[in-house]
Amino acid sequence: MLEIKNLTMVYPTGTVALKDVSFKVEDGEFLGVIGLSGSGKSTLLRCINRLIEPTEGQIIWNGVDVTEADQSELRNIRREIGMVFQHFNLVKRSNVITNVLSGRLGYTPPAWSLINRFNRADREKAIQVLERLGIPEKAHNRADSLSGGQQQRVGIARALMQDPKMILADEPVASLDPVLAHSILGSLETLNQEDGITVMCSLHFLDLVQRYSTKVIGLRDGHLVFEGSKEDVQKIDDERFKDIYGEEAERLGA
Amino acid sequence: MTETTEIQRSSSPLHAILSLIIPGAGQVFAGQIVRGISILAATLILGFLSIWTSAQRARFPDMGVSARIFVIVLLQCLALLALLLIVRYLILRSMQDDASADAASRGILGVGYIAIILIASRPIMDLAGHTPGMLEIYETTLLLAAASLAGLWLWQSNDAALLGAGNPAGSWTPAILVGTLLILSLGWSITGIDISKAISEFSDTQVILRRIVWPWRTAFEYDIDTVESQARIQAPCPPGAIGPEVNEPLVGEAWISVTPTCGDMTVSDNTGTTLGTELTITGGGFEPGQVVEVLWKNPIGNPFTPRGVGETEITISPDGTFVSSLNIPLALVADTAEGAQLHTLVIRQESNEVFTGRLSDQMNLALVGILESIMIGLMATFFGIILAFPVSFLAARNLMMPIMSKTGGVVGGFVGLVPGIWAAIIGTQYVISLFGGLEQAPIIIAIIMVILFLGLGGLGWRLGAWIISQLIEALPVSIGRGVIGFSFAALAATPGYLLGLGFSRGILSIPLSVEVAAVNEQTYAIIGAVILGVAGAAFGYFSGNEGEVSIGALVYAVTRTILNIVRSIEPIIWALVAVIWVGLGPFAGTIALTLHTIAALGKLYSESIESIDPGPIEALQATGANRLQTIVYAVVPQILPPFISFTIYRWDINVRMSTIIGAVGGGGIGFILIQWIRLFQYDAVGLGVWLIAVTVALLDFVSSNIRARYV
Ligand SMILES: Nc1ncnc2c1ncn2[C@@H]1O[C@H](COP(=O)(O)OP(=O)(O)OP(=O)(O)O)[C@@H](O)[C@H]1O
Ligand SMILES: [Mg+2]
Repeated sequence: MLEIKNLTMVYPTGTVALKDVSFKVEDGEFLGVIGLSGSGKSTLLRCINRLIEPTEGQIIWNGVDVTEADQSELRNIRREIGMVFQHFNLVKRSNVITNVLSGRLGYTPPAWSLINRFNRADREKAIQVLERLGIPEKAHNRADSLSGGQQQRVGIARALMQDPKMILADEPVASLDPVLAHSILGSLETLNQEDGITVMCSLHFLDLVQRYSTKVIGLRDGHLVFEGSKEDVQKIDDERFKDIYGEEAERLGA
Repeated sequence: MTETTEIQRSSSPLHAILSLIIPGAGQVFAGQIVRGISILAATLILGFLSIWTSAQRARFPDMGVSARIFVIVLLQCLALLALLLIVRYLILRSMQDDASADAASRGILGVGYIAIILIASRPIMDLAGHTPGMLEIYETTLLLAAASLAGLWLWQSNDAALLGAGNPAGSWTPAILVGTLLILSLGWSITGIDISKAISEFSDTQVILRRIVWPWRTAFEYDIDTVESQARIQAPCPPGAIGPEVNEPLVGEAWISVTPTCGDMTVSDNTGTTLGTELTITGGGFEPGQVVEVLWKNPIGNPFTPRGVGETEITISPDGTFVSSLNIPLALVADTAEGAQLHTLVIRQESNEVFTGRLSDQMNLALVGILESIMIGLMATFFGIILAFPVSFLAARNLMMPIMSKTGGVVGGFVGLVPGIWAAIIGTQYVISLFGGLEQAPIIIAIIMVILFLGLGGLGWRLGAWIISQLIEALPVSIGRGVIGFSFAALAATPGYLLGLGFSRGILSIPLSVEVAAVNEQTYAIIGAVILGVAGAAFGYFSGNEGEVSIGALVYAVTRTILNIVRSIEPIIWALVAVIWVGLGPFAGTIALTLHTIAALGKLYSESIESIDPGPIEALQATGANRLQTIVYAVVPQILPPFISFTIYRWDINVRMSTIIGAVGGGGIGFILIQWIRLFQYDAVGLGVWLIAVTVALLDFVSSNIRARYV
């Protein structure tokens, strides 16, 4: 279970990206995070595994305060939380299997990774994961030779290698077309339902949120302005929508 | 009439006059302060540069005189230019307003101005110096500089007039053109360009150029084929002596025969010379058309050319024979000699040089030299890569900046580093003694040493950081802050001391007596230590253990500074240092190039690290990978292509460099080349130059191929 308590994040530039945000994510949930561009979605997700250091507040992950963890504790926490990015963040020149295996680094003795060695079990697991995501034949292609959708699958495969209890996905489909978006989110949904992996996913389109999330939070200028169940989300009307997205926001055909 | 507003813009005489008196003043007055100051600075700098240069180039350098002459010439130029401008204005006014006439008149004005100045250069200069011959002393440079400055002066005055009347700021182009002309004319003078000399004396280069361009005769060894034939003659000829037998002609072999074979030598005394017996020499079997040499050997066997007694060089007739005559020369015969004195007449033919196919000594030396050069370049590149690679990570801003540490940890780290390094030194000494001396196994010991320093230093750092952090947590807050403040003070005082010392020695030192200097040094050193110490204490106390220091930024700054300094010193200079360090030879050159390569590659590498995509790094951090793993999996694959490309580029440079680094004793072909140059052995120099050219061309070919394949 993940619990965020009074999280505040101020960038060195003075921008207050998150202000006193508190919420809970139960195990097995598919949590959608919505909000306008600049509302602090990426900042929130990156604070959870401390890719950026939060200014104030607590992040309790299964009873452990992430903000208090030292370097080795932090690495142990991070390897339980997979992360998927909008721009995939693959090492483009490396081949797919290496990218996938790099998700395993948190479990690999550092000295071994110097000579580029993973054990047999890891390599077999990598192939299995790729098979599960439907791209086993691409294992030895260079990452940048894949299409966008395939690259995002590699990104998910890398996260799966961590045996994650939770996956943080920062706009995983924002650079993909709608058909691919459904297929990628479908994969995440499968993982969520079959493997019980908690998913926390920021999304731009309300219809995607309504289709996949079991719970939703909304951010606006760094404040938590909405928190609701799947049913609440289905009932979001124009009034509520403007609450989250601001006065000027227009609802694009949901 | 909108077209003509361009020409007849309104202008303000007041501003023009201000600028005429002090360049830039009108602009400042019109509110364009930066423009005005720039103009004043440019005028002053250009004026000073002109005076200084012409003073240096004059035969009797005197800044005062040069300045006076320059100013007078400048005034003359200003007057001339003003006159020309008035003439142009009057002509243009009488004509129809016409943009093309305006443009043309500008060109004519410029060319005419310079032409008049050049034509009237002698009177202008003589007028300025009040004596004839000034042009010879100060050269045309001064004149052209003054003429350009005059142009600049009037331009900025006009500029001020326009600005003063509220026009928008005009283009700098005219000023830049005139300024460039001025600087070019100064440059012409300073570099001593002399075109007539370059043309008239070009033929002098022929002698060496021909030998350098085509030196291949020197590359091989040639044998000289010599044919010799001899005849024996007895001299002096005592009564009754008949001399040796006359030689018979031979077939298929060179032969000579001489008659008679007995005679008297030429005698010289103060009454004159009495020629010896005339000998008739016939011969055959020689190379037709060639010249043979006549030699005389006395009874002891010493050969000499018998001069004044007949032909000493004979041309062989087409059938291979010759006939000649020679009087027996004066040859020393020992007083004590007894019996018949037998001399030898030698006819020697030196035929053409024979190609042997063997390389000459010089060619061998050149080949060894170029091989040595290539190897110097190769080794320097190799060591350069090995050392620049880790260093480049320390010099990459994007990797280092995020490395933050709690202040307590940093202090503890430094405190722990000291015993760590100390232990490493002791350990190294122990290892050396274990091996029985450094020279027993230098490479192994060096590797162990690096491991010891990194390992023990790192251990010390971690231990120190841990201990101090624990200590601070255990202590009350204010005492903890005190500890941190104190430690920072101690840490900062050391560089403060050194800086103070450097300051007193470097900037203030020279005129002080030894005693005073010693006292002063300490004073400054202590002042430095106190200043930085107090600053450190304050920083440490106020930031406390919660404060964070970017230890990465510190390492980055130090590494970058060192790299920049090392890189800005040319390899040739490093070679001078290395020659003193390890002696003449290729090792010195290797050290010099390695140092420079580390710095250059370190910078290039770290810049390519800085430009990588940060996404994968973030992604790998999120998987729980540690720093080392992140570098291996996210950074290295991204930087490999630029690294390969930069390395090849550097290898290229290193081989080129290694061919000249020998000139200062760094081994390789340059070392031999510089000796040949000093001995005027231009053929050999040519060999070296050719080998370098061939090597560089091959290298270009290879490196561009590799680059095309991998990058
Ligand atoms: N590295 C940074 N330094 C300073 N300010 C930042 C930084 N990153 C983000 N911000 C600011 O923080 C605020 C929140 O940004 P964030 O990227 O979290 O928004 P977002 O909701 O993810 O937007 P988007 O939908 O466009 O990705 C914005 O105002 C942004 O300008
Ligand atoms: Mg974002």
